[in-house]
Amino acid sequence: MSWWNFGRKKIDHADFVEAFLLKNQKPIPAIRSIAQLEFTVFDTETTGLSIKDDYILSFGAVKIRNQAIQIETALELYPNSPNSGEKTAPIHGLIQRENQLSIRQFAEQSLDYFGNSILVAHHIGFDTEMMQKACKPFGLEKLPNPMIDTMTLAIRLEHGPHADRSQFNPEQYGLDALCSRYDILTEDRHTAAGDAFLTAQLFLKLLKLAAVKGIKNFGQLIR
Amino acid sequence: MNVIVHRVAEFLKRFPPFSFLSKEVLEKVAASVQVRYLEKGETLFRQGQPAEPHFYILKEGAIILTESLQNHEEIRDQCDEGDVFGVLALLGKRPYVLSAKVEENSLVYAIPVTVFEEILENNSRVALYFAAGFASGQVVIRQDLSEGQKARGIFKNESRDHSLMIFSDQSEIKFSEKVLTCCPEQSIQEAAALMAEKQVSSIVVCREDLKPLGIITDKDFRSKVVAKGIPLETPTSKIMSTPVLTMRRDASFSDLYLTMIKNRLHHLILTEDGTDQSQVCGILSDHDVLLSMGNSPAVLIHGLMNTLDLKEMRLIRDQAEQMLRYYLENELTMDFVASVMTEVNDIIIKQALRIAENSLSDEDPALKKIPFCFLSLGSEGREEQLLRTDQDNALVYGDVPEALADQAQAYFLKLGTAMVEVLLACGFASCPGDIMASNPKWVQPMSKWKEYFSEWIIRPTEEAILSATIFFDFRPIAGNLGLGETLSLHIYEEIQKKKIFLNFLAKNAMMNPPPLGFFKDFVAEKSGEHKNEFDIKSRAMMPLADLARLLVLSHGVIGVNNTFKRFDRLAELEPNYEALFKQAAKAYEILMRTRALEGLRNQSSGRFIKPESLGKLERQLLKNTFSPITELQSIVKVRFQLDYFQQ
Repeated sequence: MSWWNFGRKKIDHADFVEAFLLKNQKPIPAIRSIAQLEFTVFDTETTGLSIKDDYILSFGAVKIRNQAIQIETALELYPNSPNSGEKTAPIHGLIQRENQLSIRQFAEQSLDYFGNSILVAHHIGFDTEMMQKACKPFGLEKLPNPMIDTMTLAIRLEHGPHADRSQFNPEQYGLDALCSRYDILTEDRHTAAGDAFLTAQLFLKLLKLAAVKGIKNFGQLIR
Repeated sequence: MNVIVHRVAEFLKRFPPFSFLSKEVLEKVAASVQVRYLEKGETLFRQGQPAEPHFYILKEGAIILTESLQNHEEIRDQCDEGDVFGVLALLGKRPYVLSAKVEENSLVYAIPVTVFEEILENNSRVALYFAAGFASGQVVIRQDLSEGQKARGIFKNESRDHSLMIFSDQSEIKFSEKVLTCCPEQSIQEAAALMAEKQVSSIVVCREDLKPLGIITDKDFRSKVVAKGIPLETPTSKIMSTPVLTMRRDASFSDLYLTMIKNRLHHLILTEDGTDQSQVCGILSDHDVLLSMGNSPAVLIHGLMNTLDLKEMRLIRDQAEQMLRYYLENELTMDFVASVMTEVNDIIIKQALRIAENSLSDEDPALKKIPFCFLSLGSEGREEQLLRTDQDNALVYGDVPEALADQAQAYFLKLGTAMVEVLLACGFASCPGDIMASNPKWVQPMSKWKEYFSEWIIRPTEEAILSATIFFDFRPIAGNLGLGETLSLHIYEEIQKKKIFLNFLAKNAMMNPPPLGFFKDFVAEKSGEHKNEFDIKSRAMMPLADLARLLVLSHGVIGVNNTFKRFDRLAELEPNYEALFKQAAKAYEILMRTRALEGLRNQSSGRFIKPESLGKLERQLLKNTFSPITELQSIVKVRFQLDYFQQ
């Protein structure tokens, strides 16, 4: 345990958060080739866009290893609402699930799933905030994993690393727009897992594009 | 079901063999998939590379399978959406025989062999499906043609489970009866020496009672001896695979074959009673299996080439028809099916020539020296004759001096007649219009044939055009094939001189009655023997064949006879109509398949179909084939200015 962790010891770290942080201590070497990296592509479906007031309804994720989407790793989680269930009216077509998880179970299972993989999502900032909010009660302030936003990556690959993001219409880099630009069939959007699968396909294609532009290892990818 | 798994499953279940799986099994397969994305120019696997633990189904894009020959690459097959490829991985870890190259950016689903092995064991339908693919030597388990056809494969009744029966003919199983054996105490070096001496890849370990204790194969020497570095004096019992799986020698071929596939065996030991408690009496290697399965048409062809006995030839042709049925039911590509059947038909004709020549051995040797060529016309000329429908043929011989003319005519008429008789005996129906090499009018010297063709081209009367549609699809089969080429060249030159002929041909191509009536239903025959039946030949196939012939001739293309290949060629020549020509090619393939299956079902020519006997899906499928006819006809109408063209 390194020195800076010492002060935080006092915060009530759940065991699974400890284990998760431990897994993430060792950084990924910059020269590791992209084919060797493990990515977790995920998406969350929330009650709204306010990090303060809204919460996660569902979480979907799938892993990419060996530059292939491993369907067997597909995961869907349905956390309970923090105010335990009274607001679980149908939203986004989601209805009350039988297999709903307590927030603690959700945090435990999702962090265990993340491990020390690289997290990938579309507009990853929002999803990360939501995840961190869910995990906060158990002592996790910040997800330590390397992160890739597919929107940022797409802009970077299409317009170069120094592109001025303010110049682009955000709609052009929404998941729908990107999927149609990269020929990805969007069948059932608006489930977290469905969007995660789309994002994973988009990411696979972006990785190929990246390779063409000379981005071949972790250091170059994460920049 | 997980949303992601569900989505993968939804795709898979549209295509066989996945369509045969139960929901639970399908979910398991879908959950094991790896999704890969490859860009144009990438190679998924390379020829000679050891098989990966996956086989593939193409989700999107296009992949070509190529074979590298000495100094160039040849395209063996092209995969489209839903095609399953790289399946040799299922048949043991043999290296890829082809390379898979990405032609368009592609999304590929990789399915682990381990997951599928279990299915092969429990679902004989799936196993047979793959067996069918291997049997034809296919590298792609193809789901070709239209969606409708895909659907038909799925909804079809389950009769296909018996289709492998055609391989159950014991005479076709070529396994070695002389099995190399050694004692368990003998050294592995001795065993290897025996194998080397006999040039076999396996040796069975047993005692004097010949009950198999174990087996040692080439692979064992690699993995258990050389790799481990064990001493050469080691007894064979130490490295043999044991216990061994055994089968009765008279088990049906499909049983033997499926046992090998299911257990991933390279060698299967056959014993007297099927257990390891009786004598070894044979061994079947996967090589033998692939050889006798993959070359099943070759077995027939080999049989044909080695007999001049009419009864036997007929029998083999009947057998070929069974094979045809099996191919059709398993939706093998029409290209493959047609070329196999054409090969069989052509061999019969060649044998017919030998028989005919033998019967004329007493004739004047001077006559026998005259070059001649037997021409197939019509559907056999187009390499499309699947069933033994009417024979259309003719004979051309080299020009002879005036003095010899009558004698030569008489001689070749005898020769042609004898050949036609052989074909009749083999079950090919006689031509109602008497266009056969037994009709003096169609047994003529080269100069006369040139005259015929010139006359048809210069004076395209209705009768001449009718002859054109039959004779212009001629294909030289037996004798001096060069004569056929000379004739082709002559026709080509004549048409170049008189292009207006094509307009007449075009006009004729529009003459066929339309397949659908005002109410978009089949136009059935109004009267006669086939009242209320649909004439698939004259209303659907002939228009397409006529259009294809016309258009390739207008491009000056000769030598491509097959209607769907003609459309494929046209798609290359006229890229702006590529989609339409490809659709037409597919339509024609579907029509051929439909007609042949109908014929096989009713023991008829398959020409007349009772629309009500078709299922709704089949009916729709058939109707879909008509749309390219209408579209092509309107193109031809404009291109050949038929509105202004008065005869």
